[in-house]
Amino acid sequence: MSITRRTFGTRMAGAAVGLALALSGFAVPANSIAAEFPEKPVTLVVWAGAGGALDTYGRKLAELLEKEAGWTVKVDNRPGGSGAVGVSQIMTQPADGYNILVLTGTLTFGIAQGLIPFELEDFRLLRAMQSEPSSLAVLSDSQFKSVDDFTKYMKDNPNGLKVGGHAPGGFHQYMLYQLMKKGGFESGWIPHDASGKVTLGLLGKHLDAAMMTPSTGLAQVKSGEIKLLGVSTDERSAFLPDVPTFKEQGYDIEGAIWRGVAVKAGTPDDAVGAIQAAVDKVTASEDWKKFQTEQFQDSPDWKEEEFTKRAQSDLANQLEFLKANGYVE
Amino acid sequence: MDGILQSLGVIFSLSGVAVLVTGALLGIVIGALPGLGPSIGLSLLIPFTYNLGPELSMLLMISLYTSAEYGGSISAILLSTPGTAAAAATAIDGYSMARQGKANEAISISLTASTVGGVLGGLALLLLAMPLASLALKFGPAGYFAVGVFGLSSVAALSGGSLVKGLACAAFGLALATVGIDPIAGTPRFTFGLFQLYEGVPFLAALIGLFAVSEALAMVESRVVSAPSIKDKVGHVFMSAALWKETWHSMLSGSVIGTLLGILPGVGGNIACWVARDYARARDRHPEEFGNGSANGIAAPEAANNATVGGALVPLLALGVPGSPTTAIMVGALIMHGLHPGPQLFNEAPSLVYAILFGTIIASLVQYAAGSLFLPLMARVMRLPDAVIAVGIMAFAVLGAFAIRNLMFDVYLMLGFGVVGYLMKKLRFPVAPVILAMVLGYLVESNYRTALVSSQGDYTIFVTDPISLIFLILSLVSLLTPLWRRIQAHRASARTEETADGTVR
Repeated sequence: MSITRRTFGTRMAGAAVGLALALSGFAVPANSIAAEFPEKPVTLVVWAGAGGALDTYGRKLAELLEKEAGWTVKVDNRPGGSGAVGVSQIMTQPADGYNILVLTGTLTFGIAQGLIPFELEDFRLLRAMQSEPSSLAVLSDSQFKSVDDFTKYMKDNPNGLKVGGHAPGGFHQYMLYQLMKKGGFESGWIPHDASGKVTLGLLGKHLDAAMMTPSTGLAQVKSGEIKLLGVSTDERSAFLPDVPTFKEQGYDIEGAIWRGVAVKAGTPDDAVGAIQAAVDKVTASEDWKKFQTEQFQDSPDWKEEEFTKRAQSDLANQLEFLKANGYVE
Repeated sequence: MDGILQSLGVIFSLSGVAVLVTGALLGIVIGALPGLGPSIGLSLLIPFTYNLGPELSMLLMISLYTSAEYGGSISAILLSTPGTAAAAATAIDGYSMARQGKANEAISISLTASTVGGVLGGLALLLLAMPLASLALKFGPAGYFAVGVFGLSSVAALSGGSLVKGLACAAFGLALATVGIDPIAGTPRFTFGLFQLYEGVPFLAALIGLFAVSEALAMVESRVVSAPSIKDKVGHVFMSAALWKETWHSMLSGSVIGTLLGILPGVGGNIACWVARDYARARDRHPEEFGNGSANGIAAPEAANNATVGGALVPLLALGVPGSPTTAIMVGALIMHGLHPGPQLFNEAPSLVYAILFGTIIASLVQYAAGSLFLPLMARVMRLPDAVIAVGIMAFAVLGAFAIRNLMFDVYLMLGFGVVGYLMKKLRFPVAPVILAMVLGYLVESNYRTALVSSQGDYTIFVTDPISLIFLILSLVSLLTPLWRRIQAHRASARTEETADGTVR
């Protein structure tokens, strides 16, 4: 309880609105260990608003960094600018590891589209902690029973179906583009500004097929109302053992949208080492594993080297996709 | 049946009542503070809900959500500063009434209407969740577009004296709504290289600037130092029978409109308040009172924005899809408890579902009681001299604008809008159409283009889609009715002049 109260207090201070709710106190834990890093409270800069999936992850991470590593952590929501506001926030602070950015795989899209005015080299990508795949979804009464059915129909009827998903030029459209290339068909894309609206579009038959995160339409996926024809994981997901992957159906497509943490380039190795050690404690905890299962999240656990390599190849591929679809020149 | 009894057991337990009251008190304060709305309020609550059971968590959240929808009207009425975007419509008549010394009456109308709206929205959720959800599914992009156009058609009614000025202001609002990342092409438009504008002109900054700061500037200019005369007795919340008789139909129509628009994701209270106000005005025998402190001008939007709570919970419970940003946070809280919203919850956790269903209704009643506790405090605000109120408005405005995203950029933008709003006041341009157009611009544009993408450029989608056709016809009716009335009135006055000129009739 004391942990919850303290995080609540610091959060309110971050939002500069604590005046009305003087419920909390800044009780600094008496048992905090005097380590090299951190010598003062650490700020997790979440580049999205309160309440979404990224914020939920950021706040759980903050809670567990306090509980497992004994840190004092403040969560600072900096939504806006497709992540550019949050990125700028850490870039204007010293590279000392005290400002950790909580971000998603849209980073590479944002850089490719020129929305985030920084390069990958401006970051040290420390750890990818969550990931969710995309999937090809149709209603259960659809004539399509497999990815092959879908691609065959699309080959015979170019642009013959209403296909859509979350965001224009984002991850899910990118995965459809991969499928188009492997399957040799043409398809339009109907963008939606919230993932919940994709589910509604499918259920209301305003969409014939959608590319979406399986957890988006979870209630309908579980009840069988929505059928997932293929999922973009390497192997079948533990959460959806009955859903075949694209790969096993002969389409060599793999991809996931990750959530993770990064710091400004130039942050010294000893601070990064301390952050990595603390994150290791978090990911090893039972609380974290339980949280991941409840949230239907895969745990990629990519460390800095692999994380950076993946981001670089994502950036190159996504740039090509965006150019091919006219999103960038 | 067991689920119903269990849920009532939780609601009326000591902890159940405690979370409902806590949620209501917090909600009113959070709603009244500009910049903080129900969604920020709920996200601040999430850490507390770890330790509560799922039923109590939901009760706490629903109570805060409902009360924040009411709380937004308090600052709208007292300070012309809508505490939430959904209270913007209330500011017009509420503040006008308060300046006539009838702030207490305005607050009691708002509180009563909010309660009525909340209860009726909750009843609709309890009794009609499934049919309403299947209605929501019928809305495709063309349907959403037409709903947006229908909302825009109320500009005529918001224009005050001059329709031309009203339309100019609406055009200004629509132009502002085009700023930001293009909803279809994904590229930034009119952002001048400022990434703070990628998500568009922050709506709350415009709202606070245009409504509140412009008012504070006008106050400073008028240099009145005395407090407005208080005519009515301060401190009671009960509406007189005469007021009930005057406003019941607005509350009812507002509740229905709020519930129906609440079930549509991305529509909700910000739009429902305007549509409800417009409908009430069209049906009112004294439409000219709207804008000058009409009781119905408070009752209709306030009933509507509270009714959207029940409406927004419909897709959450029936389909597992949140109907508003606020309900999206409730999904997050449920997931923390290992529960995923959706129709399967009726089997998995019936007591939780009934706690949400009954809780929505009961939270509205608790809000009524909690709201009445704040009246003595408000009475003090009413007695403050204008100079103090002007400073108070500015402080609230700056705090609210900063709280949107913790960016000073938003504060400067808000102050800029304040100056624009002040100049508009001077030149007698109405600010409400700007706000309405900003709210609806994105909805109309993104859905218009999405509809055309999905029809592959075929414009007939807007008339072949039945929902779209209905709302486009309604928009025409709503646009033409005031004109028709004007012509009728013109003819009638011409006739009376004739009889006055002649001798006997």
